[in-house]
Amino acid sequence: MFRLLVQELKFRRNAIIGWGVGLCFFPLVYIGIYPSVAEEMAGLADLEIYAAMGVNIGTFGDWIGSILVVLLPLVASIYAIGNSTGTLAGEEEDGRLEMLVTLPLPRWQIVTAKALALMISSFLIYLIVSIVSWLVFIGIEGQIETDLMGVDMFRVVLSSWPYVFAMAMIALFLAAFCSRRRFATMISTAILVIGYFGSNLSASTPLLEPFEPFFLHTYLDGTGTAILEGQKTGDILVLLGVGAVALLLAVIFFQRRKLTVGAWPWQRDKVEK
Amino acid sequence: MTNNVIETRDLTVYYGKYRGILDVNLSVEKGEVFGFLGPNGAGKTTTQRVLLDVFPPTKGQASVFGKDCQKDGVEIRKHIGYLPGELALYANMRARDFFKMYEYLRKDKKSNGYWKELAERLDLDTSRKISQFSRGNKQKVGIVAAFMDRADLLILDEPTGGLDPLVQKTVLELVRETKADGRTVFFSSHILSEVQAVCDRVGIIRDGQLVATQRVEDLFAQRMNRLTLIFEDHPPVGAFNIEGVSELDLTRQSITLEVRENLPAVLTAAAQHHVMDIETHNISLEEIFLAYYSKDEGDINV
Repeated sequence: MFRLLVQELKFRRNAIIGWGVGLCFFPLVYIGIYPSVAEEMAGLADLEIYAAMGVNIGTFGDWIGSILVVLLPLVASIYAIGNSTGTLAGEEEDGRLEMLVTLPLPRWQIVTAKALALMISSFLIYLIVSIVSWLVFIGIEGQIETDLMGVDMFRVVLSSWPYVFAMAMIALFLAAFCSRRRFATMISTAILVIGYFGSNLSASTPLLEPFEPFFLHTYLDGTGTAILEGQKTGDILVLLGVGAVALLLAVIFFQRRKLTVGAWPWQRDKVEK
Repeated sequence: MTNNVIETRDLTVYYGKYRGILDVNLSVEKGEVFGFLGPNGAGKTTTQRVLLDVFPPTKGQASVFGKDCQKDGVEIRKHIGYLPGELALYANMRARDFFKMYEYLRKDKKSNGYWKELAERLDLDTSRKISQFSRGNKQKVGIVAAFMDRADLLILDEPTGGLDPLVQKTVLELVRETKADGRTVFFSSHILSEVQAVCDRVGIIRDGQLVATQRVEDLFAQRMNRLTLIFEDHPPVGAFNIEGVSELDLTRQSITLEVRENLPAVLTAAAQHHVMDIETHNISLEEIFLAYYSKDEGDINV
């Protein structure tokens, strides 16, 4: 399995660099411009529209939380979904999976190696962004008032990685379950988008409040307090737990799948009499 | 203990309600090249995929090296080199990187860079990216990957597809060398001439069912004879109404017969007339194959 993991990471090398550099846009722009727009943003802090989007811009901590904890994982999840569904379902569609499953490797190892590669690659992308965030913060540190330190940027960025992990594993499960990449992508994206808006709306609409725990985004806290004190351990465990369950389901369904023939797991053969 | 490398019993695969293969009973002996013949959609690839545990059978059993394909799939695949019929490769990789990766993933000690020698024999430039290859060159990549670890069993699904005649010849040489090593080849094809050239036995699959398994020489031994009898005068009418004999063509002076059995009776009947000449025609495996697939007769003709 280790060999396959190494290989899968090699395949993702360009994606890690590309997405890592691309996502640095967030700290470079949003942290970088903060000193010049801080006063204007303080005046906009009470707008409901921002609350609906899960964005709070009252203080630097709130602002950082909104960008690095609320929005960054949403964009990083696009990588996670694309990459997860491209593997298994995508490889099955284009035929490469046949070469892989006919190697002397158990299927659970194939899924696990791919899952580990996804985890590591998304973590490395986050690592690049966190280092850049730290460096940008050092650049503006003298121009803003905040209790945060450079090293906190590192922690803040990495604190939302469990969300990306959960989304990656959900997408991987769907890729193992479906034989079609587009279905897996469609459903994963729906979970991402509905989770984001659902969480924000249910937090601000009493009618939707009972549904709040069902939205994955609920377990990301982008408030200034959470930025200072860190994400709640319970929230992190929920996200990691969702990811782990999704991975387990991916392994189970991939083990049972009739590969290469585009069959759905519930399809049963009917022998003609 | 059985000497069979591959054995299937009542192997049946359905895709939902569609038939894949039906009650296939097959055995392939160690060290032989077994030709698996059949037109597209007959069930060749389905059979191979069950052997490789890509999917389980709906019914029946399949074993390779005496081990169950589903329970011991990983162990079995350690000893199989496989060339899929629908070859899909990592387009962005260079061919040499693909072989190194394949060697690495198979934990292949036996290979020891054998792919370099194979690539040279097949005239494959391994420094190029796979995406830049023609269909034939991609097929060469698949062939090298299948042969590179000198597996005990090679499962080759239409290996010469897309190759030029010279490379086809090299591939058939590789198959012969594999046999000479005492290893086994399951050679799926619908190109009869190459099956005839390298296979010891053939299994013919039609509409998902194995309709015949025979040694290639036996198939020829019991093959049909085609005779043209040339007479001094008009050919005798009705003289060759003999069981196992069909009249194919009748001209003013000659009659062409397809003789499946009772050749002596044909010659006796001919001797009673003024035969000037007899021409015999060899019937290829292809014609025998087509006879198996004859829809008019509705059943096996050979």
